[in-house]
Amino acid sequence: MNSFFLILLILFAGAGLSFVLGKISSIISGTVAFLSIAAASALFFTQIEMGSFIEFSLGGIQLQWGLNSYGYLFGIIVLGLGTLASLYSISYMQNKERTSGFYFNFVLVIAGMTGIIFANDFISFFIFWEIMTWASYLIIIYSGKNVKKIGIKYMIFSAIGAYSMLTAIVMIKGQYDTFLISDAINAGAFNFIDNIYIPILLLIGFGVKAATMPLHVWAPGAYNNAPTSFTVIFSGAMSKMGVLGMGLVLGHMFTADRSGSLTNFFSGFSVIYLQQTIGWLGGITAVIATLYALIQDDAKKLLAYSSIAQLGYITVGLATGTKLGVMAALFLAVVHGIFKGALFMVVGAVERQAGTTDMTKISGLIRKMPFTFLTALISIIALAGIPPLGGFVGKWMLYEALITESNSYFLVIVIFFSSTAAFLYSYRFLFGLFLGQEEKETEQVKEAPITMIIPMLVLAILLVITGAFPGLIFSPIATAMEFIGFKDVTWNMSVLNNVWGNEMNLTYLGITIGVVFVSIFAFITLKGLKGTRYVGTKDISTSGEIPYENENLTFQINFFQPFVRAAAPMYKRSMNKIWNELGNGLEALFNFTRKIYTGNGQTYALFVVIFLVLMLLFKDTLFV
Amino acid sequence: MVISPVHYIAVPLLAAFTIPLLSKYIHKELARIVPGIVLLYSVFVSIVLMMQVSEVGVISEKIAGWSAPWGINLMFTPFSGFLASLMSVVGFLIWLYSYNFKKIEQSQSQKYHILQMMMVTGAIGIVLTGDIFNLFVFMEITAITAYSLTSFYRERDGAEAGFKYLLIGSFASVMILLAVMILYTQLGTLNMAEIAQNAHLIPTPLRATILVLFLVGFGIEAEMFPLNGWAPDAYSQSPGPIGAAFAGIVVKAGVYALIRVIFTLFDIHGAYDFLIYGGLITMIIAETAAVAQTNLKRMLAYSSIGQMGFVLIAFGIGTKTAIIGALFLMFNHAVIKSLLFMSGSYLTYNSLNKKISALAGLGKKLPIVSLLFGLGAFAIVGLPPFSGFWSKLYVLTAAADQNMLLLIMAILAVSIIEIIYYFRVVSTLYYGKQEDEEIKVQKPSINAMVSMLILGATIIVVGVYPDIITHFLNNAADMLLDKASYIQAVLTQNIN
Repeated sequence: MNSFFLILLILFAGAGLSFVLGKISSIISGTVAFLSIAAASALFFTQIEMGSFIEFSLGGIQLQWGLNSYGYLFGIIVLGLGTLASLYSISYMQNKERTSGFYFNFVLVIAGMTGIIFANDFISFFIFWEIMTWASYLIIIYSGKNVKKIGIKYMIFSAIGAYSMLTAIVMIKGQYDTFLISDAINAGAFNFIDNIYIPILLLIGFGVKAATMPLHVWAPGAYNNAPTSFTVIFSGAMSKMGVLGMGLVLGHMFTADRSGSLTNFFSGFSVIYLQQTIGWLGGITAVIATLYALIQDDAKKLLAYSSIAQLGYITVGLATGTKLGVMAALFLAVVHGIFKGALFMVVGAVERQAGTTDMTKISGLIRKMPFTFLTALISIIALAGIPPLGGFVGKWMLYEALITESNSYFLVIVIFFSSTAAFLYSYRFLFGLFLGQEEKETEQVKEAPITMIIPMLVLAILLVITGAFPGLIFSPIATAMEFIGFKDVTWNMSVLNNVWGNEMNLTYLGITIGVVFVSIFAFITLKGLKGTRYVGTKDISTSGEIPYENENLTFQINFFQPFVRAAAPMYKRSMNKIWNELGNGLEALFNFTRKIYTGNGQTYALFVVIFLVLMLLFKDTLFV
Repeated sequence: MVISPVHYIAVPLLAAFTIPLLSKYIHKELARIVPGIVLLYSVFVSIVLMMQVSEVGVISEKIAGWSAPWGINLMFTPFSGFLASLMSVVGFLIWLYSYNFKKIEQSQSQKYHILQMMMVTGAIGIVLTGDIFNLFVFMEITAITAYSLTSFYRERDGAEAGFKYLLIGSFASVMILLAVMILYTQLGTLNMAEIAQNAHLIPTPLRATILVLFLVGFGIEAEMFPLNGWAPDAYSQSPGPIGAAFAGIVVKAGVYALIRVIFTLFDIHGAYDFLIYGGLITMIIAETAAVAQTNLKRMLAYSSIGQMGFVLIAFGIGTKTAIIGALFLMFNHAVIKSLLFMSGSYLTYNSLNKKISALAGLGKKLPIVSLLFGLGAFAIVGLPPFSGFWSKLYVLTAAADQNMLLLIMAILAVSIIEIIYYFRVVSTLYYGKQEDEEIKVQKPSINAMVSMLILGATIIVVGVYPDIITHFLNNAADMLLDKASYIQAVLTQNIN
């Protein structure tokens, strides 16, 4: 059987099987889910030849599935992270109820994303997109909390996005008579000169999943409400499907050859206009999400906002439309998938072991959960963009692209502000959960089970490796970028160049930092061997006074109070309010139309008579 | 024995007259079983004829040997045959479902099953007949059975709904009859093919008047706004399975009549635009009204009206793709809405006011019924990979071919509204908190379960592999658009 069919068949069968077996035991169901995703990944990475495709017809529509270098890049994220997250889920979901439904939808989401990657035509793209959407909706409301507020909101925004996309798809069909993505691209569907609506509608569709302003309001709630082992996929991989689509549209739009066009000047102008708009939307998303991440007391919510902020950077990168910018964006997309996946796993582990993710309630888990802490530390370093890990490389390239290749210096400032503020919440995350005073409540906490530790450590190791050798990710990105229209993309295994002629070899940097770390570690260990006294958190004296047992020495509540006070005006306005008001207004309108049906037979008869009379009056103009 | 379209009409009529005798003198249970056997026979007839019709093209039956245009003829074309088959299958499944439906058992089940069988027969007659007056007669059969089934429970609300339906329905009858009369005075014939051939001979103002009378008359049956006031009450007060019959059978017949008049009888350009605008207004108003409903069956009723508006839009676009889409929509609506009404009636079985909030937590108590309802909800809003997606895609593609961008946006905006209220029900079903006191749930009987599972399986199979029915839809759409061959098929009969 063809590998494309086989992979999807394994995934769909895995979904069905884990649903049925879930009635027996949650662990069996989870294992089946893991095995099916792992088998699908194994086939994906070994059996499928790049550039191969199959064609078949369904319902009179020609469909094509294939694998291209661009899809492959996202396939790495989806199936790689999917395998790890499903392994992680087995222990995480162990004692929860309704696990069969969870695993069913979990595998369906992976299947949907795999299908999106395979889709070479818009119809299968849309079908898999929708499968991914409704399956993820069912997981978001799985916990039964905030079903109406968050679940319905997610579904409404997803529907707005999906239906904008569908409108664009049928318009492409109407204008170019094709459903094939490559044909549409060659015909210039994304060109923005002849078509203003198609790219914009598609961008709205993808922008919803990538949580770009002003379509982001569903995201924080949805990320937070889903079970954490799914949020790994949700934030790490599913949001990248929006990036995939945006990259496809924007890449082809910016690289399109406009030299022959008569409306060259104006169209060039309008493209710049669009570019600036999207760039700014991304920038504003990053800043606002970062500000909101700062004031969260819940670690999971903090990460949810942080994800949105990171997606903002990626959007900015894509919007630059230059080689370097897009490369930075795709690099950040991959790295974000890794470190945000790892961080959500960390939060999930804490949630499972300590019972809560509220940073005001727990602290000092570093001794209890050392491996979890290690993963958190490495991921946070990557998130904050501190060398030598991946986040640094991505941000470096993004800044360079913005400064040298686009003329929006103010946007650089915005991004810079947001990424500096990100340090604050990164610190808060580490401090809140792992450092500080050990509380009584968390005394019994133990390290998470091995099936949760392994995926976390794998991601952490990946972060270290890709930090030292970013070329490992650049190589698929470069071929992927050729697919979306860029030519001669160059990259180095571990050297960063810039236009000012400076060079930085990340291997040396990595090794240097590694050596420093190792020697400090060795120093501390050796020193520790000499018989130092183990001290508890309370074993100190401040100004000559010994603190009481129950005295609070750390500041978990109102953590960034001065900062929040300074930024207070920023928190007042919220997109959420505007959408809510729109919703309320519409609901009032719907209530009004409902009243047309009075329930009175006479009124209905009157309607009929009035309609008949009107029709007879205007019959000659209506029916000629 | 040669199977012919007349079996659809003759067998049920014969059965309807003999059932009271059989049940009185042989066994009481026969009153309930015989309609089922008759409907199953209709399904068998459909299968045989659908296989024949794809080879022959048109199967026509002269009643009592009088050939057209003097006698009445039944035309089994790929188009009418598709609808007749759909109706007979849905009709049979509704019988299967309601065989042990407890509330019907409490009332007089004899009458119920005969009436339900006659309702299906009338609707199939409307679709098959080639004579406009005969069409009126079948319309009356359908309508009268529908009135009595609406008020079947003999409760206050049911009686009120039935009366409203009767009131508006009699408007429809009068107008259709009037239109038929004017037509007859002008052309001297009642045969639809001959009318179609000679329609240009009628003076234009008079032709428009006849058309308006037909549009209003059939518009009432097809639930077009503002003629659909009767519908929400009738749907919600009738027994559960009858809601499915309204959606799957009665409305389909009304839409068929409307389409036959517009496409075949009078090929007037403005009528297509009328369908688009009428359908759009119907859809928007019905779907927005559905959001505010707290009663499950009323919500389904408004949703059903909205879907019919969508069907009218699709027919109004008028290209081949659009008609395939419209027929696909009718198919989906018949299957999915029947499933929703059937599963919905068990979900609200013992609740008095059928409140949506009373569904809270039923996902655990009635897992399969809830799952089927959820499946129906997902399918009707057009989420892939269920069958509802394909019909929506065909219609939208057709609209895009005609550059109707605003229409596409309106349809999709309404779809978002649909998602809101259907997902609200589904999430209440699974995650809602029980507010009122416990309501005893009713486990569905096995035959009801089989009936619902067949519908559910259809949704998934057609959704994953739509080619199963697109072939039939394709032929049907060709037939509807090819007016000349319809006329020829009817009128050349008398030569052989």
